[in-house]
Amino acid sequence: MEIKSSENESFRLVYEEVFPVVMRVAYHVTYNMDVSEDICQEAFIRFYEKNIDFRSVDEAKYWLIRVTKNLAINVMKRKSREQAMVDKIKKAPKVPVRNGEDALIDSETRTLVREAVEKLPEKLKSVLVLKEYADLNYKQISGILHISESNVKVRVHRARKIMESMLDREEMHVS
Amino acid sequence: MCLDDQILNTYLDGELTEPWKTQVEEHLNYCVACKTRFGQLSTLHAVVSGSRLEEQEIAPHKEKVLQFIEKNYMEKKNKIGFLHKDFRIKTPMLLSAAAAFVFVLVGALLIGPSTQAEPNALIPRVVPATGGAVVQVRATEGLAASQVLENYPLEEILKYLDSRGYEVDLRVKGIQPMGGEPIEPVEPALEPVEPTVTE
Repeated sequence: MEIKSSENESFRLVYEEVFPVVMRVAYHVTYNMDVSEDICQEAFIRFYEKNIDFRSVDEAKYWLIRVTKNLAINVMKRKSREQAMVDKIKKAPKVPVRNGEDALIDSETRTLVREAVEKLPEKLKSVLVLKEYADLNYKQISGILHISESNVKVRVHRARKIMESMLDREEMHVS
Repeated sequence: MCLDDQILNTYLDGELTEPWKTQVEEHLNYCVACKTRFGQLSTLHAVVSGSRLEEQEIAPHKEKVLQFIEKNYMEKKNKIGFLHKDFRIKTPMLLSAAAAFVFVLVGALLIGPSTQAEPNALIPRVVPATGGAVVQVRATEGLAASQVLENYPLEEILKYLDSRGYEVDLRVKGIQPMGGEPIEPVEPALEPVEPTVTE
């Protein structure tokens, strides 16, 4: 289905499907809900105002993910430059943890994962976030990041290697 | 020869193509070391991917951002479309436009005489047979009105109004008369309309 980003019907269709994905991408790059919301808002406003034709919802999704990822990375770069921003973002409210039987991953593990993802170098972080949180395959990631599929494969592997070394496996609990 | 982590990760992500995929599966069937390692990588993937922002955490933000865009972009775009088919202005907008027009008109009539300094431009001309039109002028409010009226003696104003066919109801509010006698309203009482001037 062809998508015209400035047509309300198309916009809503894409928004409904893609918002959770881009929110996840923004969040797992910045780990701040308010910043992520701003980023997603900015991405969708650009999407709406640019009036772009996409061949499919997926094409629109890849465009939005790319824009969101870039915005989020920029925020993080600015954050590292401005010490004030660091403190502000560190104070981000913790993500509410699911309780009871629903909880697949406990809150401590989530925190550990978060800390590990935050420490990843930008190139590896982008690939890992798109792989683990946007549920994209290597080909889709390669299209979004404009890198080769084999490069994606290598980066996924390197990112996981670093993640593993940072996460104490003893503390990873999967129920 | 055993499998390295990169191949196992690629296999784990379902990205390994044939014939390597089948070879890896066969190897994992008998190699305990590789199977164990594959188990570890699977757990790592499950833990990392499972630590994701959940749908219910996203939902309120999804709603909020959509409302913002609808209000600030979608609706505005629809209104701006003068050349588009669905041109419409909401009733409150029309009312406020009318109110602004009346305000400007009245303002112009009240300020006008101060520059012309002619009595016959003091009070707006009465359109005959409209019936029930009431013009209130208070010296205490509306700087323009009080300035204009101050330029004329009361007698002249009343004479003027009389000549124009106004019925004048003169009241003094908030001031106690010095004598015992109440102030009689001046009533030229002419037809056809009865605007009221209060000083």
